[in-house]
Amino acid sequence: MESRALARLTDEPIDVGAVAHAVSGPDCGAQVLFVGTVRNRHDGREVARLTYSAYRPLAERRLAVLVDELAAAHGARLAIVHRLGTLEPGEASVVIAVGAPHREAAYAASRECLERLKREVPVWKREHYADGSARWREEEPLVPAAPPTAG
Amino acid sequence: MHVRLLAFASAADAVGAPEQRLEVTGAATVGALRETLAARFPALLPLLPRLAVAVNGEVVGDAAAIADGAEVALLPPVSGG
Repeated sequence: MESRALARLTDEPIDVGAVAHAVSGPDCGAQVLFVGTVRNRHDGREVARLTYSAYRPLAERRLAVLVDELAAAHGARLAIVHRLGTLEPGEASVVIAVGAPHREAAYAASRECLERLKREVPVWKREHYADGSARWREEEPLVPAAPPTAG
Repeated sequence: MHVRLLAFASAADAVGAPEQRLEVTGAATVGALRETLAARFPALLPLLPRLAVAVNGEVVGDAAAIADGAEVALLPPVSGG
């Protein structure tokens, strides 16, 4: 599919409609839109807000690699926008849009994109709790280089 | 020689600043730098086994060389999404 790649970080609230629009087109039979949002509880604790930070140059390059590789692997069009800075519960932290001729490819690319993002893109969240304490969430060791898409 | 040391998330807490100029002596590799960092910043020790290191914007292994003036980034396990 013709590519109009959108892959970036933003300090502003994400315009979900604009991300969806970036993958739309007359060759699409399906669009899948994933919106990751800030939840107000984690491990039984009340979360007041999250702060997201990134190693920006590497994160932006790896988002672009994800979009390109998954587009080629699934015959789809992808767009990713990840929010940085301070987010309140309910706000969108990441939006992934996929457009493809058929729904199977769109669903598969959407899921694979989020799973790879969580291992390949240097972004960190810090949870700030209602009791005033805070801690870094550090979950997946960053992979050395974005591996080629399987299959 | 010196490197520009960037540190993110808990690594920034462990080395005391998100960015600093660091003097490095001895073998100029990522592996040697890990030893230097462990000696200088004991708070970084528990993080080291899961810490990725980027030199001039690329994540590299311990054998990679570091040139004078390089940008070195300490990247703890990530949690985007």
